[in-house]
Amino acid sequence: MNRSKDLDTIAPDDDVFVPDPVQEIPLIEPKKKKVVKTKIPTKESTMVEDFNQKIHDILGHTKNPFSSFLVHPKVLKFTEQDDHEIIYLAVRPHWITNISWFFISIAMLFVPLFFVYLSFLNIFPIQYRFAITLFWYLITFIYAFEKFLSWYFDLFLVTNERIVDIDFNNLLNKHFAEADISAIQDVSFSIRGILGTFFNFGTVLIQTASEKNQIIFDNVANPQKIMRLLKELRDLNETKGVKNV
Amino acid sequence: MYSFLIANGLENYFLGATKIFFILFSLLYFAFALIVVKQVTSMSKSVKDKFNYVLVIFSFLHLAFSILLILTMIAL
Repeated sequence: MNRSKDLDTIAPDDDVFVPDPVQEIPLIEPKKKKVVKTKIPTKESTMVEDFNQKIHDILGHTKNPFSSFLVHPKVLKFTEQDDHEIIYLAVRPHWITNISWFFISIAMLFVPLFFVYLSFLNIFPIQYRFAITLFWYLITFIYAFEKFLSWYFDLFLVTNERIVDIDFNNLLNKHFAEADISAIQDVSFSIRGILGTFFNFGTVLIQTASEKNQIIFDNVANPQKIMRLLKELRDLNETKGVKNV
Repeated sequence: MYSFLIANGLENYFLGATKIFFILFSLLYFAFALIVVKQVTSMSKSVKDKFNYVLVIFSFLHLAFSILLILTMIAL
């Protein structure tokens, strides 16, 4: 049996939607596709990428800001830093070097407990002894604080332009030394003792052609990694010039 | 020694001298605490890091305690 071509003629009661010819249906413009600019890898950019990958391979990465080995620290900045200067590595003395002052500070906290056994203190009234105890705790605090600051601000930085040694001694002396990467002549390191071998820290000695011909970093973590990084930077500097990276 | 001082009525002189010594010492300590604040602020400016403000707060706390020390010594 043949089917009718127009079914509405057969069942006219059915609601049939007929679009209003006057009503205009708004046209939805097709979304413009975002034009993604693809960088054409140049020889220089691939060189930089290769170099960054090399740095990552050598150094790995750390996120703890109190770490003694900070790779690519994003927050850390120093006054003498140029605008385009990138810090590849910031190194402090290994945390194990803090152990001695840490335990001394802990021991100092308990010293006032023994004040009662010191006969010459018993001649003072109780308020005098309180003042002495308060003074002792301040001394304890400032001892630990000074040691911590000396560690925290004792920084060895490797940037894309230079190596920098910033040192604050005893809260009163500031020491700043720098040498261009291109001025580095020789790098050597030594790891000594049981602790050094066990925790992998030692001294890095850098011979430079700059005014200060020797820069020494004592008790730094992973000295062999630092040496490799400096070698890579020096190689890159020789081939291309790190400043243009 | 203290019994000797008491016997001769010198107890108050001894404590007075000690108090003056303590006050002078705490004043010197206050000057040192000021230097610490100055130095920590200077260090924080030289090397900017995430937690520098904590160190500055600690140095100011230390300064506040050194003032408290002076007040304690005066109140003796």
